Amino acid sequence: MNNSSKKTPTELRERYLQAVRFWLPKAHQDDILPELSEDLRSQIEEKETELVRPLDEAEMAAILKRCGSPIVVASRFQSQQYLIGPAFFPVYKFVLKMVLLWILIPVFTFIITPVNLVNTGGNWGLTVARTLGALWTGGFIAAGVITLVFAVLERTQLQLGLADKWDPRSLPPVLKPEQRASQRKTICELAFAFIGLLWILLVPTFPVLILGPAASFLKPVPIWHTFYLPLVLLATASVIRAWIGLVKPQWTWFLPVTQVLTTVVTMLLLRSIIAAAVHAAKAGSPAFVVLADPAAASAELRRVAAIVNASIFLSLPAAWLGLSIAAVIQSWELVRHFRKRGFVALQVLASGKKLFF
Amino acid sequence: MTNGTAIPDLFENLRLELRRGCLIVAVLAQLRSEQYGYTLRKALADDGLAIDEGTLYPLLRRLETQGLLVSQWREEEKRNKRFYRLSSAGELILAQLLDEWKNINASLDRILQEA
Repeated sequence: MNNSSKKTPTELRERYLQAVRFWLPKAHQDDILPELSEDLRSQIEEKETELVRPLDEAEMAAILKRCGSPIVVASRFQSQQYLIGPAFFPVYKFVLKMVLLWILIPVFTFIITPVNLVNTGGNWGLTVARTLGALWTGGFIAAGVITLVFAVLERTQLQLGLADKWDPRSLPPVLKPEQRASQRKTICELAFAFIGLLWILLVPTFPVLILGPAASFLKPVPIWHTFYLPLVLLATASVIRAWIGLVKPQWTWFLPVTQVLTTVVTMLLLRSIIAAAVHAAKAGSPAFVVLADPAAASAELRRVAAIVNASIFLSLPAAWLGLSIAAVIQSWELVRHFRKRGFVALQVLASGKKLFF
Repeated sequence: MTNGTAIPDLFENLRLELRRGCLIVAVLAQLRSEQYGYTLRKALADDGLAIDEGTLYPLLRRLETQGLLVSQWREEEKRNKRFYRLSSAGELILAQLLDEWKNINASLDRILQEA
């Protein structure tokens, strides 16, 4: 049944005003509504004078319709409200995109999926369902937390007047096209460095991330306890390096220099691991992994343990060799960078302008 | 969206933007003499600046909060009505806005003549 049928025009007007009242700010309802009511009455009277008869329901409905829907009329009395204002919105969008696309999805793809795959006994269907379920929840929580943080920032900014406290001289210098391209590269580096750090931090809890299904019967030897902290520090340094590269793109020297340093430090660390493994092998001990329960281990599991140790042992010198080649290439690029910079500096000096990097 | 619908929409948006500031000046100017909402709307419409109640009443509230208008509930013809008039601060602002309006008009005239 239509609610509006068999209602008098006056009732229709009262229903309209009641609906407007519902959406008005509570503190001002008694102030705003009599004024709107008075305006409506004046409009109705004027129309009735023109027609020389009372309005019928359709005519009343037409007047109310012209006034606008109750929610729209009431909303105009509200002060403008938003959770994240135009000043913060682009940063909010950037952070949201960064966390969801560049951190959450890679973490779930490369870390959570393998863990789930082992936990479900290799059932891909169940693994995908679990991973997507967790990604959905994780995405919502991450988006919620980021939104909350920015909403708080928005309010604090309004109170502290942060929008006015900025200096044009503190803005980053104009980037050249090649610097813009390297900025995208740095964002990728940051995302992968973060994933790497997360991976290293999760390995002690989830050895499956490094040993795969063999984690059920293998465990790392104590040598890793010695090298774990340096590895974490190296991964953390990579995250910080990429972050600095992103926020200080004008430090064109920073990324190439720290790249060489990182490679050299990694090579030194790798060399120490290889030396420790050689020492263990000479003493007749397993170099990298041992059986979790040697008493219950079958001959086949022992063979797997030996293969894993041998594989790691062979892969480390190969990695060291790869890093050596990388170090040479990076050093050459570093030299080219400084030569180019030096050439530009000479040109600037020759033109008599002030040297400014 | 096609260009056919986009251009009228664009014009409507720009027209509303242009009108917004003018309406404030018109309301302040009209309230140099005391009026209540409905008669104010009628007066503005008679002078060619129709304004719907959904726009006028929030604007009146805002101008009153800013101290440019003063209002008073009073009984007239056995009905309670809220009468508005320009405050002394409103008079000052109106004079400044009218000066600004004249400057903008003069600038626009010059720009159009140059074109």
